[in-house]
Amino acid sequence: MLALQSYLTLAAIVFAIGVMGIIINRKNIIILLMCTELLLLAVNFNFIAFSYFNQDITGQIFVFFILTVAAAEAAIGLAILVVLYRNKDSIDVQELQTLRE
Amino acid sequence: MAFIEIIFYVFSSILVLTSLGVILFKNPVYSAISLILSFITSAALWLLLQAEFLAIVLILVYVGAVMVLFLFVVMMLNISDVIRTSRFNKIAPFALFIGLIIVGELITLIWIRSDQFSMTSSPISVLDTSVGNTTLLGTALFTDYLYSFEIAGFILLLAIVVSISLTLRRREGLKRQIVSEQVNIDPTKRMKLVDLKSEKN
Repeated sequence: MLALQSYLTLAAIVFAIGVMGIIINRKNIIILLMCTELLLLAVNFNFIAFSYFNQDITGQIFVFFILTVAAAEAAIGLAILVVLYRNKDSIDVQELQTLRE
Repeated sequence: MAFIEIIFYVFSSILVLTSLGVILFKNPVYSAISLILSFITSAALWLLLQAEFLAIVLILVYVGAVMVLFLFVVMMLNISDVIRTSRFNKIAPFALFIGLIIVGELITLIWIRSDQFSMTSSPISVLDTSVGNTTLLGTALFTDYLYSFEIAGFILLLAIVVSISLTLRRREGLKRQIVSEQVNIDPTKRMKLVDLKSEKN
């Protein structure tokens, strides 16, 4: 039968994939936002697995709030991206060096 | 092997493959569609964990709203600007190294302390069979977590205000209604009484 460890391992793998995506991606802010979604998905997986195996509904409540905040984050992130593209004609992460100059 | 385990392993393989697809596809449209598939697969896995309401919310909110928003934005941009020319850059081996270390550490931690997860020894059937998952969640949400729920609603309102104020563009030469000027206008400046002499016959 499936144990809690199986779900936690799956969440760990998805989380590591999200981290790797953020590191290797230097061309495209959209992919960075999608990797953030992957990280949050892995975290939600942990909450729901613990909620099921602990018999406690609080984990699912927390996932509800994480989903809310993640939706707000995606909307604001995409709005910032649209403004950025309008001003710089590019969404390349490596071209965003205005603060460095 | 039980049927539920077969489902778990098949779906988790799909989830890992589509997550890899998100970070490896050159075209962000493919990445977004891959992320949609991973969300749907996660929803199926959440159903195995008896989180039915959240599984449906994940599909409705994420696939139906957030990912459609992502696809909209990708298609608004110039496609040659967003397609990556090369899949890997110089730090890709380092990223792989970091990722493998993260996975190794987490899996070691999870499995080495597994004897301390007392609740994992026997899979528990249900949270409560008499009421549904949605009822349980709603009862907890609107009693113990009511303030948090209202703060979450306020965060969503904040997101609306921020996105609109960020993307609102004031173009020159646009005829707009300026309410304050309309209200503060002096009626004597708008209307002029003219004495017209009546014709005498």
